[in-house]
Amino acid sequence: MEKKGKKDRRDFINTCFRFAAGASLVGVTGVLAHKTVSGNTLWQIDTTKCTQCGRCATSCVVTPSAVKCIHVYDMCGYCDLCGGYLRPNVKNITTGAENQLCPTGAIKRKYIEDPFFEYEIIEDLCIGCGKCVKGCGAFGNGSLQLQVSHDLCVNCNQCAIARDCPSDAFSRVPADEPYKFSGFKKEKKG
Amino acid sequence: MKNKLGLIFSVVILLLLVGLIAGDLFFEKPKSQKNIYEYDLDKLRQVDSSLIAYKETTSFKIDGEAVYGLAIGNEDNIYVSGRNKLWIFNPKGELQSSMKVRGDAHCLNVSESGNILLGVGNRVDIRKPDGGLNNSFLVKGKNAYISSLVEKEGIVYVADAGQKIVHEYSVDGKKVKDIGGKNLEKGIRGFVVPSPYFDLMLGRQGELWVVNPGRHALEAYNSKGDLISTWERTSMQVDGFGGCCNPSHVAMLSDGSFVTSEKGLERIKVHLPSGDFKSVVAAPSQFDAGTTGLDLAVDSNDRIVVLDPLRKMVRIFELK
Repeated sequence: MEKKGKKDRRDFINTCFRFAAGASLVGVTGVLAHKTVSGNTLWQIDTTKCTQCGRCATSCVVTPSAVKCIHVYDMCGYCDLCGGYLRPNVKNITTGAENQLCPTGAIKRKYIEDPFFEYEIIEDLCIGCGKCVKGCGAFGNGSLQLQVSHDLCVNCNQCAIARDCPSDAFSRVPADEPYKFSGFKKEKKG
Repeated sequence: MKNKLGLIFSVVILLLLVGLIAGDLFFEKPKSQKNIYEYDLDKLRQVDSSLIAYKETTSFKIDGEAVYGLAIGNEDNIYVSGRNKLWIFNPKGELQSSMKVRGDAHCLNVSESGNILLGVGNRVDIRKPDGGLNNSFLVKGKNAYISSLVEKEGIVYVADAGQKIVHEYSVDGKKVKDIGGKNLEKGIRGFVVPSPYFDLMLGRQGELWVVNPGRHALEAYNSKGDLISTWERTSMQVDGFGGCCNPSHVAMLSDGSFVTSEKGLERIKVHLPSGDFKSVVAAPSQFDAGTTGLDLAVDSNDRIVVLDPLRKMVRIFELK
């Protein structure tokens, strides 16, 4: 005699299959949704957290690094004695290689008018080491800032620099707001 | 026996293997912290101790949200301005009185008559010695930012870091003229002010000394606004001023020597009236890294009074 309300083996297996199918459907939808959302985000550096540790230059899977120094011209003092351009203990303020701070000579200095100079980053030469960023922040207004250059970044799912970043300065940002400058400027300028 | 030894050996090897795997999985090895692109200021922060001619004799903490400006008044009382507040201490650092002020006074000065001048954004407040508001006026210009001010015989000189000019006003707020605007025929090159540190003070003869921070220079102007003296020292070493814009603040000793404070390399020095380096008052090691806005004043005993905004302290230095 069969007890009332008790499921037989066939019903139990059917129910399990239904649950498994439902869970798979929800899971696949979730994964797809997540992929769609993360496809609209990009890696970027929060300049307020960045400590210019140098790992952007060495940890990126792209060579040279996809992280570049960006110049926020609106903040720049156009200084003659630029802390981002000249080595700290420099004796002469000249463009001589021995006086330049950048290890790859990626900063171009141009005379504007006494005593103002314009500094331009040559992106192809910049390795994203952040040395100039630190110099500019230490003595100047902090107009040199490290940012992920999105025309070079391959947007890895797990960014190698983000994993190595000691100050947790990397995060995903919406693709329609891809840069996180401090200061006045919103658009990228090389 | 042979089998037993083999078994023990195998177990030991297995345990070692498990240990290694567990170590690799659960204990992260410390990554090398060496930054091959290090920007090293350590050498510049080091100061030869024989150059330090002063020692810190007194210091006291200020109980406020933020502190910005410092001045010495009559009887060597120490005035400190901060967020919505003004404190007055005696020369020993004992609080005499405090009062509320409207806004953040980033600079202040006490005139010979005892008037207290406060620079709040683009507004000048002139208060009577008892703290009551005497007059208040605005500096015109959308970029106006008052970084320093002094009063001499009814004339108020206002350093405007935003518009890179010194304004001359009467105490009742009437604009008289601008001082220091670029005029190469008169030898005036114009002020270069990349950051909001633009100080001025009165000299021993009543001349107006203005810092030209972007040129690492000090410039003296007479009452007509003519440039009468200037000196500059650009250097990353201890004998000059480095960075985009230094010195950030100045004061004058009774012999006409200049006391200067800097940002970037947090240090306080004395320069002779000629501008040549004389001695160090406080080395970078005596401040927290990143300290800016070290406002200065000198009392009648040539004690150098320093406002340390990061520690919210007044620190007093005297000759060793």
